[in-house]
Amino acid sequence: MTLGPTVGGGLKLIPEEVQDWLVLLEIAADAHQDLASSFAKLMDEDAIWDEIVVPELETEFGAQKKHVLQVVRKARRSNQEEIIIDVQDADLWYGALNQARLSLENQYRFGAMNLSSANDIEEREARSAYLRNDFYLTLQSLILRYIKVN
Amino acid sequence: MKAVDAPVHQSETSTTSQTTQPWSVVIQDDPVNLMEYVSRVIMRVFGYSREKANELMMLVHQKGKAIVWRGNREEGEMYVSQLHRAQLQARLEKSR
Repeated sequence: MTLGPTVGGGLKLIPEEVQDWLVLLEIAADAHQDLASSFAKLMDEDAIWDEIVVPELETEFGAQKKHVLQVVRKARRSNQEEIIIDVQDADLWYGALNQARLSLENQYRFGAMNLSSANDIEEREARSAYLRNDFYLTLQSLILRYIKVN
Repeated sequence: MKAVDAPVHQSETSTTSQTTQPWSVVIQDDPVNLMEYVSRVIMRVFGYSREKANELMMLVHQKGKAIVWRGNREEGEMYVSQLHRAQLQARLEKSR
């Protein structure tokens, strides 16, 4: 996959192989953790939090995943050669990628493993997750670098 | 916290306003959120300067957590909800 900035201030993703499309489709699937509830646990027994904030966060986090999934599916179905992330949807992409990375970290604890490369991981599924996590991190870094994300 | 590629880790530091304020907003380190992103979120949510936001972000990164704001409970809850919306590990603590 080729990634690069556009002259319009966005970011261009050019999937070149089937695996590139698959990893883009995996973003939403990897973002499976119930983040809204896990954040709520940081607020001790705050009823208002559970009633008001958690549903709002669930809606917002769900919209991020849905947006990315829809964009990728539509691009693949219509044989688009590239996907453009522009200023308007950079926050949605960044948020979905972050959810995916938070979920993968919660599942695999890559941060505590002190790995130098994916080859350090024996289990195939975990190695695949590590590589996706690394790709998501790269994409997030490029979004931050080339598109303003608040 | 990742330094546009490195993660955040633990301890407590107080940097803002006076200790007489009853509630503190604390951001905790995590191994996922990018350092640049955390700085930008702190700037946007609290209206701090880039310099102050970077300083607080570095405290989170190096000490594991940092108090980023002190004040009343209602306002603190609003800030924490905005930090959660940005997917940062934040909580409200009663100031000691």
